[in-house]
Amino acid sequence: MPYRITENCNGCGACKRTCPAGAISGERKTVHAVDDDACIECGACGRVCPRGSVLDRNHDVCVMVKRSEWPRPDVSLKSCTACGICVEACPVGCLVMAETPRKGGVDAWPYLKDEKACIGCGFCGEECPAEAIVMRKPEKEEKTAA
Amino acid sequence: MSFGYMGKILLVDLGSGELKERSVPDEVYEKYLSGMGLAARLLYDMIPAGADPLGPDNVLGFVSGLLTGTGSLFTGRWMVTGKSPLTGTWGDANCGGFFSPAIKRCGYDGIFFKGIGKSPVYLYANGIKAELRDASHLWGKDTVEAEQSLIAEASPTAHVALIGPAGERLSLISGVSTDRGRMAARSGLGAVMGSKRLKAVVLDGKKRIRVHDPGAMRTLTKKCNGSVPPSIPISGGMNAMMGILLRVLPTAMAMDGRLVLSMYRKWGTTALNQMSIEWGDSPIKNWAGDNEDFGLGRSAQVNPDEIRKREKIKYHCYSCPLGCGGICTMEGKYRETHKPEYESVLALGGLCLNEDARSIFYLNELLNRAGMDTISAGATAAFAIECYENGILTREDTGGLELAWGNTGAMVALIEKMVAREGIGDVLADGSKIAAARIGRGAERYLVHAGGQEPAMHDGRSDPGYAVHYSVEPTPGRHTLGSWVYYEMWQLWKTVKGLPKPALFYFKGSKYKADGEKARIAAVNSKFMNVVNGSGMCMFGSFLGAGRIPTFAWLNAATGWNRTPAEYLEIGERIQTLKQAFNVKHGIEPLALRLSARALGLPPQPKGANKGRTVDIEKLTRQYWMEFGWDPETGKPTGECMSKWGLESR
Repeated sequence: MPYRITENCNGCGACKRTCPAGAISGERKTVHAVDDDACIECGACGRVCPRGSVLDRNHDVCVMVKRSEWPRPDVSLKSCTACGICVEACPVGCLVMAETPRKGGVDAWPYLKDEKACIGCGFCGEECPAEAIVMRKPEKEEKTAA
Repeated sequence: MSFGYMGKILLVDLGSGELKERSVPDEVYEKYLSGMGLAARLLYDMIPAGADPLGPDNVLGFVSGLLTGTGSLFTGRWMVTGKSPLTGTWGDANCGGFFSPAIKRCGYDGIFFKGIGKSPVYLYANGIKAELRDASHLWGKDTVEAEQSLIAEASPTAHVALIGPAGERLSLISGVSTDRGRMAARSGLGAVMGSKRLKAVVLDGKKRIRVHDPGAMRTLTKKCNGSVPPSIPISGGMNAMMGILLRVLPTAMAMDGRLVLSMYRKWGTTALNQMSIEWGDSPIKNWAGDNEDFGLGRSAQVNPDEIRKREKIKYHCYSCPLGCGGICTMEGKYRETHKPEYESVLALGGLCLNEDARSIFYLNELLNRAGMDTISAGATAAFAIECYENGILTREDTGGLELAWGNTGAMVALIEKMVAREGIGDVLADGSKIAAARIGRGAERYLVHAGGQEPAMHDGRSDPGYAVHYSVEPTPGRHTLGSWVYYEMWQLWKTVKGLPKPALFYFKGSKYKADGEKARIAAVNSKFMNVVNGSGMCMFGSFLGAGRIPTFAWLNAATGWNRTPAEYLEIGERIQTLKQAFNVKHGIEPLALRLSARALGLPPQPKGANKGRTVDIEKLTRQYWMEFGWDPETGKPTGECMSKWGLESR
């Protein structure tokens, strides 16, 4: 079930700019809409909406969260098998494989190359077959932002 | 809602420029899976009988697999399919990288192209829109340069499949590349793409792939992940010694795929380089030589430890925890290349008696960038060398090249000419069978092929299963469909009741007896590989064995079906019959696809690992065809067989 935007939307365009799937359309200052077929349910629209106008897949109202508090992937290289599933699952391409081998090994390793681009969707952790990724709130940044 | 598969394809008419999405009924997936099975189902109907493979009526399909992106492992393979211009048969080529999930992320299980474009184009799709874009500025660029340009134009997250200059120049041994030189190389389908003036397919979708039971998928995958072996703790030299042991011992042990995968984990397929030569698995000197002609001294430069020294980082395809690939550094014109596969090393090495590893690295990159099949290029060079050695080709014909066995410089120059289609290179650029016809003067005496396809670097005189599959498959000359050792590794008897279980230890002589069980094993191999190729699964991953890699259970958990392993093999049987019917529809006589006599041990080799061995291909072929209910004399599916699979009205 895709996300939905309610009549409460004021057309600020924040969701449209953030959506990594290009699933949101709408003119400025008009109610925006989610394309059911294109929505990937990453939740980024809900996290940026200042008016609580986005409903999630369970029809619950999404709460805006400060970007600095969005969870980010924490990769445990001890469990990671370098299978690349997380990197491929990332809808914004912020998680990439390193071009140099991991310390003491020959395999590549995934790392958050562009922290600011991460939308905190958690697809990387959800799809990781080795349970090597945990989504965590960046504590230090939280303090800085505060 | 569909689970596992996307339920949709994209049809592109390059002639009119029209793009259409089409829903595919669930029934098609239930009968043919996705991937190659889906492509076979669609192309059987879409390509008219007798269509010119390089004409507008041929349809080129790029397909993902049913298990790709479902949380399973080893399921990142995609295939390119169509009528082969090299063999005239059903054509397909398989490749890894990240292109398989990219197809599904755009919402499709396959993308199919018909017609011919007026000028070079590429397809761009991102799950929201799909459009043809001008590719004039990319025409002539090699696969690495063009891919980099396309990613810069599209997005850093885009994945690309494309042809190089070989495909553009309609070389019938050209393939399709992805991820800077990984090749879907066989069947000559790069030329089909070139004939359509389709330079590339660029995909940047984000769609999610839904599965029926995510919890079950996760449990199955976790268990499978735990069974992937670590690197084997031996040296490359010891590995070669294992090859000698395998040759001299009168007995053999049923192979456990975990052992092979532990070698692949360490070295990739280059683990086989010296070992396979020593035990007789590698064809040498255009299939006329043997291990004694290319002993440990001559093959020393391609010892797997030597190859590994150049590996700067391992390369994993999508969803692969093993990582048999690698990126290697090199000196000279090119700085890097994908680690040359065993097939490339042997075709460009032992098959031409070339012992120089540097030239193999160079040719690997040259051919990957040109988009030409390393197996066929090496095999065609070996054929040309033998023609030269026997006076059929002269120095005048070769443009001054002294094409003697082991003359590295001449061989490299010859393959450069093939890529550029210059002089003798133009004669050879479409593979050895067509070259023999162009050369005449009895050149066909030195040809080794199956239906026009150069067989891969596994010798049926060592494992007759290869010779059978090279000869009887609808896609001839292919080493990735079955052999006796593959059957041992797949261990299907553990999940499918009634299948023959090989003895743990056996006398090697029993491998060469053409009894009924062998044909049955070959038929099971073909059926299983159709399931594997319908699932987007890696054949190497399947070597883990049925008790460790849950192919059938994953399929059930991903789709919500409740099929038995035997029922999945029935799907494989249906697909095999459909591919054979495709060939019959296009006027192919299955008997004409038989492997050349030399490679069957006719006459037998006078010395070496395979001394005195001949494959009883007559008997094995008849028995194999009977296993499928096809006419044992002609190999054509009978009316009864076609009815059984619901194909009679087509």
